[in-house]
This record gives sequence, C-alpha cells and structure tokens, in this order.
Amino acid sequence: MTILVKIFGDLRKKIKDVESDGALPLNLHMNTENIEYIKDILQKLSIEENETSHIFVNGVYAGFNKKVKDGDRVGFFSKNQALLYKWYFKREEDD
Amino acid sequence: MPKRILRVNMNNLEAKFEDFPADFAALGGRALTSTIVEKEVDPLCHPLGANNKLVIAPGLVTGTLAPSSGRLSVGCKSPLTGGIKEANAGTPFSQQLAKMRIAAIILEGKHKGSEYYTLKVTMDKAEFTSADKWVGKGLYDTYQSLFKEYGDKVGICGVGIAAELLGASSGICFNDPEGLPSRYAGRGGVGAVMASKGLKFIVVDDTGAPGVEILNEEAFKEGAQKLRKALTTHDVTKPGGALNSYGTSVLVNIINEAGGLPQRNFSAGQDDRSEKVSGEVKAEIIKERGGKRPHACNPGCIIQCSEVWCKPGGKDPVGVLEYESVWALGPNCGIYDLDDVGELNRACNDLGLDTIEAGGMMGVAMEGGLANFGDGKKALKLLDEVKNKTPLGRILANGTAFTAQAMGVTRVPVVKGQSLPAYDPRAIKGIGVTYATTPQGADHTAGYAIATEIMGVGGTADPMDTSKADLSRNLQVATAAIDATGYCLFIAFAVLDIPEGLEGVVDTLNGVLGANLTVADVPGYGQSIIDVERKFNKAAGFTEKDDRLPEFFLKEKLAPHNTVFDVTDEELDRVWGP
Repeated sequence: MTILVKIFGDLRKKIKDVESDGALPLNLHMNTENIEYIKDILQKLSIEENETSHIFVNGVYAGFNKKVKDGDRVGFFSKNQALLYKWYFKREEDD
Repeated sequence: MPKRILRVNMNNLEAKFEDFPADFAALGGRALTSTIVEKEVDPLCHPLGANNKLVIAPGLVTGTLAPSSGRLSVGCKSPLTGGIKEANAGTPFSQQLAKMRIAAIILEGKHKGSEYYTLKVTMDKAEFTSADKWVGKGLYDTYQSLFKEYGDKVGICGVGIAAELLGASSGICFNDPEGLPSRYAGRGGVGAVMASKGLKFIVVDDTGAPGVEILNEEAFKEGAQKLRKALTTHDVTKPGGALNSYGTSVLVNIINEAGGLPQRNFSAGQDDRSEKVSGEVKAEIIKERGGKRPHACNPGCIIQCSEVWCKPGGKDPVGVLEYESVWALGPNCGIYDLDDVGELNRACNDLGLDTIEAGGMMGVAMEGGLANFGDGKKALKLLDEVKNKTPLGRILANGTAFTAQAMGVTRVPVVKGQSLPAYDPRAIKGIGVTYATTPQGADHTAGYAIATEIMGVGGTADPMDTSKADLSRNLQVATAAIDATGYCLFIAFAVLDIPEGLEGVVDTLNGVLGANLTVADVPGYGQSIIDVERKFNKAAGFTEKDDRLPEFFLKEKLAPHNTVFDVTDEELDRVWGP
C-alpha cells in the first residue's frame, strides 16, 4: 500500500533520511499509513506548505486538502519552480 | 533624425532609406511587419517568388533602457503555412536596428542569378558583397568568420543550408551577445524567404547611431521603473525565480506531471524518462561543465532565462536549449539523453532549422521508419542529409507535413501546415484552441493558454474544460500587442498578475511615442493586428476549416488522462466569430 511521491527541484535537499543516488527528481514510495491528504505527506517529509509551488496528483493540479490513496502518483515542485504569482488556479481538493 | 525604413530591392541589388510613414508611427514589431505584409504582398503570391517580401522590425521600445525589450519580428507570407507569418527573436541585432532608427528592413524582389549576398548596413548606407564563400557552410563557423571580418561589435542575421534548399522549416538566425548563432526567428520558413531572394546575411554596424528617440522622458522612466519592479518581484520572472533558475525547460517536469508532454510523435502525454532532460538536470550539468546559466539573450534583460549549453570542459558552446527545442528533439522523438538533444540542437542551429519544426519532422520520420524512436545518433545522421543537400534532405528540410506525406504517415501534428509545439492539446485544451485559431499556424506563443491552465497566471482555467474561446482570444490579442512593443512575451507572466507592471508597459510606450495611451487601449491595439493578419489569410484562401486540429487528436485518446480534444467546432469558430 504505497503512494509514489516525486520530489522536484530544491525540495530534494529537504529529505534527509532517505537514501538517494542524487538523481532528479527524488522518487519515494511512501507507505499510506497515516496519510489521508496531501498535507499529511508534507508533514511526514517535514516540508512546509509555503516551500512548495505546483502539486499534481495523478496529473491533476491539486491542493493541500486533496485526498490521496494507494497507487496514487504525487508530484511536489519547489518554491523556485513556481510559475504562478497568486494562487489563482482552482486546485482539486476534496473539501 | 526621424525613424526610417530600409527598402532592399534584390532585383537590382539596390538598398535605399525611406521616410517612415506618419500613419505607421504607433506601429512596431509584429504590428509593423503584419501591416506592411498585408499592404504590400499579394496574398496569392508564391511565398518563394519575387512578389513575396520579408520584413524585419524591432519593437516600439526596443533599443531603450526598458527592461527585457530586445525583441524583433520577422514577417512575410510563409512557405510553410501559406498564410501571414510573424516569427520573433530576442537578440542584440534588434537593439542595434532600433538605435539606428531603422523601424523596418523590407526585403523585396529576387536576385536572378544563383549568387548569394551579404548586406552591410551602417548609419548612412547599405552595401552588398558576395556571400558565395559561405554557401554550404555551417553557421557556427560562419558566424565566427563573419565577426572576424566585420568586427565583434556588429549584429548579424543570416540563413543556413536548410534555407539554401528553400526548406519550409528554415529560420532566420540572429547572434546572441556572445556571437553564437543561437537566437532564431525560427518558425514558418522565414529563412527560405530570405534565401529565395539571394540574401544570405545582414550585418548591422550601429557606430554613430543616435539611439531611440523618447518624446516623453518622464513617462518613460516612470514606466520602466514600474515594469522593472513587477519583473523583479514576480515568482516567474524575478532573479532566482523559475525562468532565471532553470530556463524555459523548468516546464519539462511540470508538463510531464500534468500529463501533457507529448511523447514519440504525440502518442502519450507522460514518460518519466523525460525527467532526464528536465530543466533541473540541465542546470546542474551546465554548472558542472562551465557553461552559462542564467544568461541574457539581449543586453538589459532582467528575466535572463537563457543559457549556454556546452560539452564537458565548456567546449563547443551551443547556446540555449529551450524547453520547446528539448521537447521537440527529445521526448517527441523518444530521446531522453541531454547530450543527444544538445547535439541535435547544435545541428539545427548550424543548418538554420527551426528546432520545433525539425523535431516534429523527426517524430513523423521515425514513425515512418526512417529511424527508431530514441535513436539520437540516427537522428543526427538524418540531419546530415540536409547538410549534404540530398533528395531526402530536401524532404526533411520542408518540415513535418511534407515529410509525413513523403513517408505515408497519417498522424501529422500540424495546423495550417506548421508543427505543434510542446503541449498536447488533448490534456490542455486551451492551448489547442490557440493552435487551431491563431493566424500563424500551430504556435504556443500566439496565445499562451498554458500560463492560465497550468501555471495560474492571470486568471483561472481548468485544462480539461472545453469552453476556451474567450481565454484563447484574450491571450492572442494581448500577445499581439506585446509582440508589437518589443518586450519579451515572458513579461506577460508579471504584467497579467501585477497591474502596475502593465501600466509600466503602457507608460513606456507613451514615453517613446509621446502618446496618451491607457491600459484600456491595449486590447483594441492587439485586435487590430490580428484583424490585419486574418484579412491577409482570408485573401490567401483560408477559411474556418483551417482553424481545426488534425483528426487524430479528436479520435485517439492520450494517456495518462485518456482524453481526446473535444472542443467543438462551434467553440473554435467563436474565437473570431460573431
């Protein structure tokens, strides 16, 4: 029961306790235990919400309250990969 | 000294300065090239014949201290689309022309012999010399020699071997600040139009140039300041921001995650091998190898999204590998090796090929069996066919549609004959509406719906929503206006989000023109440019049937979203309809 989490750009530097070959992006297969929302993944990885820019869940632009489940693919982009100024975009969230 | 037009008659090798018409005073860049083409070119002429004209025009504020304003437009009837064309480039050449108060160079007629010429332009004269010694030579070596011959302060534009073949995918190459032949007005076969007339190079020497006349210094300074502030604070355009850190290739991973990065001739929208050619990987390699990142494509650019890609040890600098080029010559061909992509980009620059059209061509060539997807070395050999001017090379140099027809390929990703850029319209519908309806043929820059659909700049839109006529029209109109100013299109990221930035753009225009324009005048100005272009295309025989995507985008589902392009014909016609 895992979620594929892809960590892009400088966010990789935030992930300390995971073995990495330095390849970009960092791909993590995270156990879904205690993970219900995007924000739960960020919390587990000690990444602040304001350190991210784009978030995708299965190819759909998503927000912090988007629900995730086994088999999902999640992509987190770092702040300096932001191609937006304000949070204009309608993010897919579950609540 | 007032602005001037340099009219170059290739029939008799005569070049003369003319007065700039008073009723053209508010026209620059794309507004000027499209107006002159519409007024002076028969829409039914053969694009490679004596009756087509090529117009090169810097933007209205180009050559001033306004930030990120070093763009120019190249216009003509396109041999690729059969319609009007505006191709755009950022280069010091544009600033030199503007400082010399040359509002446009109009190239007309056709030299009867087989010789090629160089036109050297100085403040008070323009002279022809033979360019025959450069025929059949690559542009990297040639530009080095030209700078040696004419001095390192000149600006150069020219065409390569692909244009000598009159290939409809040949661009016009401008030098970057380091003298590399890497800044292209690439699209639509503008290189073939220049070569068809017998002109190989234009060299400009701006010694003694008076600079751009600014009629209201105060308005100009205030506007430049507002725009500078917007560009330096917006997350997309600021120093250390996305474009500055990673270049346009920051989009590789973003569009791949969005499921809209076309793979292997538009047969899938996502492939994780694309991560190997991403902006992040490229930025790290450039740093390791001693290339340059960030880099300005013209002096005075704040955004500095450009770069210089090179081999290990800083050898063989190529210039910038743009997102569109990396995609076209990479994932679109199943190639996921940056060194292969770099060498293919170098070959395109050397031959004078538009990288988007060349990548689209290579995708259909691979589908047609000329090479396997993923075989970068074979792709390079195919470009050698162009270099060697073989019959196959002549086919390939004519672009995606022509190659597909020659190879019996039916999945042909073109609109109005021009190859689609790096966003699959089945996953991102708004850009598909722009591809279909812009007068230019498939062109992402014509109305960059990606900014709204994926990046959240200047409004909101769901990429899967099919009501996109208004979004695409508004962006196309705004883009046309920006293309007239000489500002880089990337200022749109900041000025669509920060109202003072847009005010700054208008203030700088008022400063240069001594006018009293307001932000409310911008849409009407942009629309007038589109109207001129559509008038030309209508007279050239275009109808609403040309404002459509190829059949396979409507029938073939794209993974991972498994969607087709389902925007209705009525919605497409609503872009310019009543």
